[in-house]
Amino acid sequence: MADKRMTPQEVVGRLESGMTIGIGGWGSRRKPMALVKAIVQSDLRDLTVVTFGGPDLGILCTAGKVKRAVYAFVAPDVAGATNKNSPVLEGHFRKARQSGAIEDEPYDEGMVLLGLQAAAWRVPFLPTRVGLGSDLLRDNPRLKTVTSPFDDGEELIAMPALELDAALVHMNRADERGNAVYLGPDPYFDDLMLAAAKVGFVSTERIVDTAELLKEAPPQALRINRAFVTGVVETPGGAAPTSCEPDYERDEDLHAKYMAAAKSDEAWDEFLAAWEAK
Amino acid sequence: MAVLTSLAEAITANVGDGDMVALEGFTHLIPFAAGHEIVRQGRQDLTLVRMTPDVLYDQLIGMGVAARLVFSWGGNPGVGSLHRFRDAVEHGWPRPLQLEEHSHAGMANRYVAGASGLPFAVLRGYVGTDLVDHTANVAPLACPFTGERLTAVAALRPDVTVIHAQQADRAGNVQLWGICGVQKEAVLAARRAVVTVEEVVEELQPRPGAIVLPGWVLSAVAEVPGGAQPSYAQDYSTRDNAFYEAWDVISRDRDTFLGWMRTHVLDLVPSTT
Repeated sequence: MADKRMTPQEVVGRLESGMTIGIGGWGSRRKPMALVKAIVQSDLRDLTVVTFGGPDLGILCTAGKVKRAVYAFVAPDVAGATNKNSPVLEGHFRKARQSGAIEDEPYDEGMVLLGLQAAAWRVPFLPTRVGLGSDLLRDNPRLKTVTSPFDDGEELIAMPALELDAALVHMNRADERGNAVYLGPDPYFDDLMLAAAKVGFVSTERIVDTAELLKEAPPQALRINRAFVTGVVETPGGAAPTSCEPDYERDEDLHAKYMAAAKSDEAWDEFLAAWEAK
Repeated sequence: MAVLTSLAEAITANVGDGDMVALEGFTHLIPFAAGHEIVRQGRQDLTLVRMTPDVLYDQLIGMGVAARLVFSWGGNPGVGSLHRFRDAVEHGWPRPLQLEEHSHAGMANRYVAGASGLPFAVLRGYVGTDLVDHTANVAPLACPFTGERLTAVAALRPDVTVIHAQQADRAGNVQLWGICGVQKEAVLAARRAVVTVEEVVEELQPRPGAIVLPGWVLSAVAEVPGGAQPSYAQDYSTRDNAFYEAWDVISRDRDTFLGWMRTHVLDLVPSTT
């Protein structure tokens, strides 16, 4: 059986500037941050990043790696200091977006899901009602509409396929062939990211024997199929500062440094040093 | 919400004359017992829907319950033609049967659209085939991004979908496993859904690759052990391959067929458990 183990640097060696890269996880949860770190340390640039965004996209923006952001949201997942119900904005992404440093392609969560599904099914678009009546048709010029050719004549949004050159995801356990399980509360859309991509890379807390994949998880947690995986990278703690439940929660200290790092170059350097020391 | 009831009551309450009825299953888990109950209750003018209609549909068509068939592929798997299906198409016996023929991918996409509440689904199929010119509910569609000629298929929304599964719990949640067809999509696309199961258990245990249908998407669940025979239910029964071969002989002759149906279907008292 193929042994697909590789290092983060070997994963980056398979990527090229200008590629469209999907990053799994959700907000500040189970992001493949060790692989993101390897991208930050590389000379890759002009990436189009497709993500349910958190620090993955924020860090890549501030590190100057992003040409275009394709996203359902970009959120730090923390409550506000003055109002606990008010979400805090993602400072790194906000800065890059408002300064025009990156191109902006916003979608609704359901649309990103369908765009990945279309790519996975190898159809150029999927019709949906998600987003109808919203400002997305105005704010995202890539979106189009499609009219039902049947008697109903309904006009729907045509969600374009989000075809990925590569996908990066982080899972709790994987075998060396690329089968992988999640142990936390949610699979997110990591399996769909891999299916939508030409090549897929899975970082994991621990590589285990295939027979042990289901020791800690029910069968339905075996979401990642080796057929969609080119490389497996063992990166203990590799989701930090995002959470990787139940192995660990979010690293609040490092995450706070990350949030503060949007304010100044000094704070950014301090965050990078702290992150790289992990 | 699903009610646990008898097969006879489930069919009486959910299958009416003129309904569009999908009895799904793919070699495995074909709902023979439920189909036979539809025959016993004398339903008429049904539009039958099915990917891979096989012996059960031959029986339904031969008994004259169907006015129309919406399908992809038809046959006695591994044996040959369906002779009652042929007789209905070629000679209108016991009544004429209108056909709407699709590809498998087309049918699966039509169920997905129905289950998604969308008017149509998009696929690359049909292009270059003659089905487009002969089949309703298929239309060419230009991709608004690439201009590529794609195919739109209209959503399928059966009045009722009928399937067979291995297990249900007492709340009417259903689990099926092994080779699955398009059961999940067909159930979610339908206005009503009837499930026969091998066994009602206290608690459904998670299984690799299993499909769980929550009770709130189902109308009725009936315990019918062996309800898929001569098809099979993995971990409960094996396929009666000899019967499928025997059917080729039984079904060639109208009277032999009617005699078999009388003995094995019409004269049987339905389960009332």
